[in-house]
Amino acid sequence: MRRSLRPRTTGAGMTRRDVLRLGATAVAGAAAGPFVVTPAKAQAFNWQRFKGKELFLLLYKHPVVDEILRELPEFEALTGIKVQYEVLPEIQQRQKTVVELTAGSGGMDGFVASLHVEKRRFWRAGWYEPLNKYLEDKSLTAPDYDWNDFTPSSKAAVTQPDKSVSAVPIFVDPDIYFYRKDIFQAKGLKPPKTLEDLEAIAQKLHQPPATYGFVARGLKNANASPWAYVLFAFGGDYLTPDRKSAMDNPAWVKGLEWYSGMLKRYAPPGVVNFNWYECSSAFMQGQVATYFDGVNFAAQFEDKEKSKIAGKVGYAILPAGPGGLHTCMFTVGLAISAQSRNKEATWYFIQWATNKQNSVRQLVNGVGGGRNSMWTHPDVKAKGRMPAEWYATFHEGLKLGKNGLPEIMDVTQYRDIYGLAIQKAIEGGKPAELVAQAHKDFQEMLNSTEK
Amino acid sequence: MSQTNSSAKAQEQMPLGFGLWLSRFTHRNARFIFPAPAVLAVAFIIVYPVCYTGWMSLQEWFASSLTLPKFIGLANYQKILFADPRFREAFFRTVWFTIVAVTAETALGVGMALIFNREFWGRGIVRTLSILPMMATPTAIALVFVMMYHPTLGVMNYLVTSVGLPPFKWTYSSSSALYALALVDVWEWTPLIMLIALAGLAALPKEPYESATIDGASAFQCFYLITLPLLRPTLVVAILFRAIDALKTFDIIFVMTQGGPSNASETINILLFNQAFSYFNMGYASSMAVALFAVVMGASLILMKVRRVGW
Repeated sequence: MRRSLRPRTTGAGMTRRDVLRLGATAVAGAAAGPFVVTPAKAQAFNWQRFKGKELFLLLYKHPVVDEILRELPEFEALTGIKVQYEVLPEIQQRQKTVVELTAGSGGMDGFVASLHVEKRRFWRAGWYEPLNKYLEDKSLTAPDYDWNDFTPSSKAAVTQPDKSVSAVPIFVDPDIYFYRKDIFQAKGLKPPKTLEDLEAIAQKLHQPPATYGFVARGLKNANASPWAYVLFAFGGDYLTPDRKSAMDNPAWVKGLEWYSGMLKRYAPPGVVNFNWYECSSAFMQGQVATYFDGVNFAAQFEDKEKSKIAGKVGYAILPAGPGGLHTCMFTVGLAISAQSRNKEATWYFIQWATNKQNSVRQLVNGVGGGRNSMWTHPDVKAKGRMPAEWYATFHEGLKLGKNGLPEIMDVTQYRDIYGLAIQKAIEGGKPAELVAQAHKDFQEMLNSTEK
Repeated sequence: MSQTNSSAKAQEQMPLGFGLWLSRFTHRNARFIFPAPAVLAVAFIIVYPVCYTGWMSLQEWFASSLTLPKFIGLANYQKILFADPRFREAFFRTVWFTIVAVTAETALGVGMALIFNREFWGRGIVRTLSILPMMATPTAIALVFVMMYHPTLGVMNYLVTSVGLPPFKWTYSSSSALYALALVDVWEWTPLIMLIALAGLAALPKEPYESATIDGASAFQCFYLITLPLLRPTLVVAILFRAIDALKTFDIIFVMTQGGPSNASETINILLFNQAFSYFNMGYASSMAVALFAVVMGASLILMKVRRVGW
C-alpha cells in the first residue's frame, strides 16, 4: 500500500470516509425512524387487512350454519375476503374433515369443529390451530370482540388440557323437551315433571298411525347424544374417577330399559334409524306429539314454510329422574385448520361470525351460542323469532346442562359401541346383556386408545 | 488458422454425433421408451397407493400429524383373522349380499335379454329405457331410495299397502336392511347383465335350434339344453364383473344406512371406512383393505375356474 493514498484527515481526526459513513447512518436512521417506532405502538385493527384472500370452509347442515351463511355477503363486503364453503350432512362432514386433515393438503382453512366428538383426538393430532395468540393480539382481534363475554362453561368446552383454545363456540346445545301445545291444551296436559309423567303423556297421545306419542334418535352413534340425558337422569356417569368404564353401574341398564322401551312402544316405525333429521321431520309434519333433542333444532319448527306445526310448539325443561334434574349439553365451534395457509383471514371470519352483533342476530332467529350478554340484549325480547318460552327454557337448560359426552380420545367409537347397544335394545334385545357387552367393549377400547 | 478450422469442424461434428447417438439409442430401446409415460402414470396412480396400503397395514397409526406410524408386523392381520368378530360378521354379510344381489340380477338380466332378443313393436324404446338405471348417478339413486323407503312418509310403503300387503320396514330394520339394499343394487345393475347376455344371445348360431325343433324339443328344453350351455361363458364373464363390484359395494350402503341399523348392513368396505375415518385407525383399516382385496381375488379365481369346468 503506497502511503500517498492515505486519505486526508479532517477536523478532529476523522477521515472523509468516516464522515460519509456517519452521514449515511444518520440519514438511514432518520428514514427508518418511523418504522422503528411504530411496532411499539401496536397496529390498529383493520377489517380490510386481508382483502383479496380466499378461504375455503367445510361446514355441516345446521340452523346456525344457515344463519351465518345468510349474513355472509356482509362479511365479504366488510373485509374483501372471498369465502367458499361446502355444506355436508353432520356425520359425513366429520369424516371428510378427517380425510382433509390427514391428507395435509392445506386446502381447508376453517371447519365446524364438533368438539363434543373430536376435541381430544384432533388436539393430539395437532390439527387445531391454537387461537390464544389471535385472541391476545389486538391488531388481529376487533376491540369490541370481548372473549370474556363467553360463559365459563362454553370456554371450558373449547379449551384443551394445555390451556390452548381450539375453537370458538358457535352453538351450545342443551337438550330440552318439545311438545305440541295445541294437543296438550286440548287434552288438558302439562309438561312432565318426572319420567313417569313423560311416559304417561306419550301413552295417552299415542294413536297410530295418525299420531305417535314420542320420538327420539335411534340411529347408531347419533343416539348417544340424547342417551346422555337419560343416563344423567338415572344417576349414571361415563368414567370412574380413575378413568375406567363406569357402565357396570345399574343406572345404565335401567336407563336403557326406559329409553328403548319408550322408542319401542311409542315411536313411529323405523325409529331405529332416525337421526335428528328424521325425528325433526316427523315432528314438523305433525306425526309425533312429543320429542326431545338439542334446543337449537327448534328454529326450523317455527319456520312456516317448512313446518306444519309452526306456532304450536311448546318448550320445557326435561323432567327429573331418580338421579336428579340434569340435562346434557354439547358444544360445537368454528376452528382454524393448523394446515391452513390463510390462518389470520380465517380468524377474521370466525371472529365476525361469533361477534356480539351476529350472536344477537342468531339468537333472535333461534340459535344460541356461548355468549352471556346476548341473553339480555333488547333485540332478543323485541324481535325474537322464537317464542319467549324457548328463550327461557334455553337459558335454564344452560344452567342445568352437564357436558354430554366423555372427554376421551375416541368419542366416536364409544358412540358406536353404545349406540349399537341402544339399537339392538330397540329391536328387542335384552338390555342387561347388551350393557354388559358394551361395558366390555368400552373398557377394551379405553385400554387401547387412552395411552 | 488451422487451429480454428479443426475446432470449427469439431464443433460441426458434435451436434451431428450426438443426434446420431440419440436416434440409435431410441431405436434400440424403443420397447422401453414408448410405454414409459403410461408405465409412470400407472406406477404413481395404481402401484404406489397399493404398496403404501400394504406398508401401512403393517403399522399402527392413528392419523395424527404429530405421531409417526409404528411398525407392528402382522399383528393387524392376526386381529382380523382371530380376534375381531365384527370383521367376521362383515365378511359373511359381504358374501351373502353378493350372492343375493348377483343371483337376482343374473336371473332378471337373462330373462330381460331373452325378451329383448325377439322382435316386437317398441322394442328399441323399451330396451333403451331399461338401460337407464345403469346410467344414473349411484349416490342420487341411493338418496331417492332412502326417501322412498321411509316407513311412513315413503312411496314404497304406499305402493305396497295399496296392493294389500302390510308395510315393510325396508332399510329401517336390521332384519330387512340388507335385502332392501340388495334390491337397490339389483335395480341399478340388472341392465349390465342384460346387455352382456343380449350380446351373447345375438352371437348364438341358429342351426342347433333348427335341428332341435325338428327333433321335437319344447321351448323350455331349447332354453335349458341349448341356450344356457352356449351362453355360459358370456354369463360367467357378466357374473364375474358384477360379483367383483358387488363385493366392494360402498356408495349405496354408505348413503342409505351407513352400515346400520345395528351393523346389519356393514360390509367389509363400510367397516374399513369406519375404522379409517371415524376411529382414525389407519393401520388396521389398511389391513382390512388388503383382506378385501384377497376376498375379491379369491372370488374371481373361483369364477374363472367355473368358466372352464363343465357342468
